Amino acid sequence: MKQKTNLTPSEQQAAAEEKEATVREFASTEELLRHDAGQVEVPPIVAQRLNESIKSEPKGKSWWQRLTGR
Amino acid sequence: MDETVTEGQPATPPALASAPPDFAALYEEHSRAIFYLALRFLGDQTKAEDATHDVFLRAWRKWSEFRGDASPRTWLYRITINHCRNLRQTWAARNLVTNVDDAVWETAPARTDSPLRALETKELGQRIQDALDALTPEYRLLLLLVADEEMSYDEVAELTGQTQDAVRGKLHRARKAFAAAFAKSDQGRYETKNQSHAV
Repeated sequence: MKQKTNLTPSEQQAAAEEKEATVREFASTEELLRHDAGQVEVPPIVAQRLNESIKSEPKGKSWWQRLTGR
Repeated sequence: MDETVTEGQPATPPALASAPPDFAALYEEHSRAIFYLALRFLGDQTKAEDATHDVFLRAWRKWSEFRGDASPRTWLYRITINHCRNLRQTWAARNLVTNVDDAVWETAPARTDSPLRALETKELGQRIQDALDALTPEYRLLLLLVADEEMSYDEVAELTGQTQDAVRGKLHRARKAFAAAFAKSDQGRYETKNQSHAV
């Protein structure tokens, strides 16, 4: 029976991350969620897609068109 | 709406070059909060990206009508909540998702006054998501809104269609439910302080 002696690269990375990880204490659920929110970035693809969508939107009515309902 | 950018105005971020500076600034300031709410409320990265896009596109269509009766953040949250609720209703109709039983958490041995301890690893986000997923959508939404320091209890109450007192009461239960689910999400590895002594 083969015995596993070496860690795979991904296992090594996980072990390194684990070693470097620090224990944090959060006073409340809200504080934990705020910390979590601070770690999240909006993927740039969202802005790119929105940019394209806005470009393809019909031009808005001018103020007098809205006023007269035309 | 004038879409030209004149000299002297702040540069429009390249990602939203199609939008006028005021809308681009709105996106810059609030997109993170909107994406985070959608991400943790829906529990899916791709759907949160879609939702963020859809929310801001809707906001773009209504931008000229926004009069500032509410803060921009509250206005965007309202659009986000409606959008996410519609999405969840559609999934529920398709998949017959069962609701989480509140009663399970009412008796759960977790305290809301105990600090939550966690290792700062990339799995922390998943643990938080797992804990939120275990809550009812209402509890999940309340916790996410109240966690935003820009939101007052009054605004949260208005957004969720209830009184401030109701929000406070439900928040207490939501925190308790979250603490229990968070502790349960990684039994044996992490622990909620004083969990074993909690009543």
